[in-house]
Amino acid sequence: MNKILAVIRREFVERVRTRSFLIGTFLVPLLGGIVGYLPAALSKRETATRTIAVLNDATGTVARRIDSVLSSQRIGEDSAPRYRVISIPAHGRMDVVRDSVIGLIGRREADGDAPVGLLILTDSGIESGKVSYLGSDVTSFRNMENLDHSLEPLVRDERLERRHADSALKVAASIRLDLQTQKVTEGKITGESGETSFLLAYIVDMFMYISLLLYGVQVMGSVVEEKTNRVVEVLVSSLTPFQLLLGKVIGVGATGLLQLGIWSFTGLYIARVLGGHSAATVMAGDTSQAGFHMPNVTPELVMIVLAFFLLGFLFYSGLYAAIGSMCNTAQEAQQAATPVTMIVVVGMITMFSLINEPSGSLAQILTFIPFFTPLVIPVRYAIAPLPLNEIVLGAGVMIAGILGVVWIGARIYRVGILSYGKKPSLRELWRWVRTA
Amino acid sequence: MEASAVVTVDRVTKRYAGHTAVRSLSLEVPRGGIFGLLGPNGAGKTTTIRMLLSIITPDEGRVQVLGQEGAGRELSGRIGYLPEERGLYPKMRVLDQLAFLGEAKGVSRWDARKRAKAWLERLGLSDWGLKKVSDLSKGMQQKVQFAGALQHDPELVILDEPFSGLDPVNSQVMRDVVVEFARSGRTVLFSTHIMEHAEKMCDRIAIIARGEKVVDGTMAEVKRQGGKTHVALGFTRNALAAKQVLADRSLVAQVDDAGASAEVGLAPGADPERLLKALVAADVGLSRFEVVEPSLQSIFIAKVGQEAARPVAQEVA
Repeated sequence: MNKILAVIRREFVERVRTRSFLIGTFLVPLLGGIVGYLPAALSKRETATRTIAVLNDATGTVARRIDSVLSSQRIGEDSAPRYRVISIPAHGRMDVVRDSVIGLIGRREADGDAPVGLLILTDSGIESGKVSYLGSDVTSFRNMENLDHSLEPLVRDERLERRHADSALKVAASIRLDLQTQKVTEGKITGESGETSFLLAYIVDMFMYISLLLYGVQVMGSVVEEKTNRVVEVLVSSLTPFQLLLGKVIGVGATGLLQLGIWSFTGLYIARVLGGHSAATVMAGDTSQAGFHMPNVTPELVMIVLAFFLLGFLFYSGLYAAIGSMCNTAQEAQQAATPVTMIVVVGMITMFSLINEPSGSLAQILTFIPFFTPLVIPVRYAIAPLPLNEIVLGAGVMIAGILGVVWIGARIYRVGILSYGKKPSLRELWRWVRTA
Repeated sequence: MEASAVVTVDRVTKRYAGHTAVRSLSLEVPRGGIFGLLGPNGAGKTTTIRMLLSIITPDEGRVQVLGQEGAGRELSGRIGYLPEERGLYPKMRVLDQLAFLGEAKGVSRWDARKRAKAWLERLGLSDWGLKKVSDLSKGMQQKVQFAGALQHDPELVILDEPFSGLDPVNSQVMRDVVVEFARSGRTVLFSTHIMEHAEKMCDRIAIIARGEKVVDGTMAEVKRQGGKTHVALGFTRNALAAKQVLADRSLVAQVDDAGASAEVGLAPGADPERLLKALVAADVGLSRFEVVEPSLQSIFIAKVGQEAARPVAQEVA
């Protein structure tokens, strides 16, 4: 037991001491924060007033109202106006005027007053709702959305007015539908919206995927390293392969838990500090600043995630250790491990279809295949708590899988760590398993 | 079997895919002293040693170490091992590394550190304790590994080719350590294919070739078994003429020719004086003529033979 502790301590201390661990542990959340925050922050930034030309060929006062609404918008509070509007009446020479204005858009040599875009108002456009905007800034998601939001009520009102609607009707017609989703689990309202629930499942999926792969591969690296350094022979003269393997797996697992813990902690902290400014909300078009609700992470979910991380890690590290022991160099091992890595990747991708149908037959089947169980159960649980018997059965399948993998893996490991030279064929591997 | 035997190997056979590495081998290593396991490359020395340590198990026969059968690993705290393939964790600090090796042997953590420090001092590496292993020269790394095999004060030390790749100075340091260790009543078993080392250090030897034992016993016994009268010769000129004299099979049974000097084993019934007369007659400028005990080198070559000295198969690493 003390010997296993020594192996665990060595594995843990040497790993935590490396520069790559420090960088990985503290730089990853920082980079993650920057990647998440920067686009949001940058796309929020508006620097200068933009000039927009409005080419008016429509009857009535709609152009004037658009002019005044756009001109009154400001960048932030009490700062420069967002738009400078140049109204150009078409006077029946639509095409000619349009072409000459387009000629000015996006020209570098033009001074700051040159228009960035041209809005074309025609009666048919107002009736059909298809209003044209030609500009150099049409790729700006935020600019277009703002324009859209600003114009929509004005054009709608114009249509109503042309049909002589009274103001009460105009107000009634302007109310939009806003579908309010709330997740119900086990007959109780959880207070989560559908989006946060999806987000949570997605985060859990990525978390399991990254952690299984990352630390499984580390176990493999550690096995190969001892082989390439030829330390392994001294070690197996003092320790049984089982002690060595178990110590290694626990040591790497502990390092993994520490790192994941630090990541989760800083991740939660960053998410809280940034609040609604994350990239996800910008992508979702949530400009209302209503903010980003932290998904409801229950202690049960945390326990399920941790438990299945551990089970999955034991399962996959057994596989990776066996593969590492067959190989002579890190490169060789990486190649040999591709099938296993592919399985994890496939599992991670399959989860996306599973999120749409968390209780479908695919989900039911995958739950009980040990390769996928550690991904499926936490993801399904994140969407809706699973019945206890399914969790227990899943864990049982996992434990059976681990015993199988460890039984075969330890036998391959025992022979493999002392074999140098050519990688064994499948037939040789089978002989290792049988004779060891 | 003697009760005092530290290692008993009884008709052990180990086969690998293509060949038999060790064939019905029996050995006995008594307590105390230095035992040399000699043989050409590929003779099965490393395989035998790995079976002693229970790293691999024999296909047939029994291996007993420190009175217990097949229990090398449970006894590992009483055994020190320096494998042929040296290896340390390159990124680990020297002191941590040694302490870990001690802990793997079952020494408590603090004791292991204390011992590691003492050994580093003894080998003149105190200043390197906090350096990474990869910062050390190859010779220093060998010393660290050597300390790793000895620091837990084992009763039995097994060294596989301990002096290969060492410069003469470091080689001498290690030899002194080994000799002192054996003098304190503990047992050293080491393998080598360099006969000079074995001849200087060993109390007992066993020569194996192609997985089989060729000869074993105390150094004196082996030399006596060498049987023939041996003569050491030195010439100052006319080496060609000397060669012709030594080619006479009625006179000389075996030659270990080193050019300007040679060690010859006389044919049965041949008289040293006859050889002396023949050499004087050939006018070879004789600078040395001495009836000697056979050297281990000449016994080795006589027993193993030039042909068997070639490796049978790649040594199973």
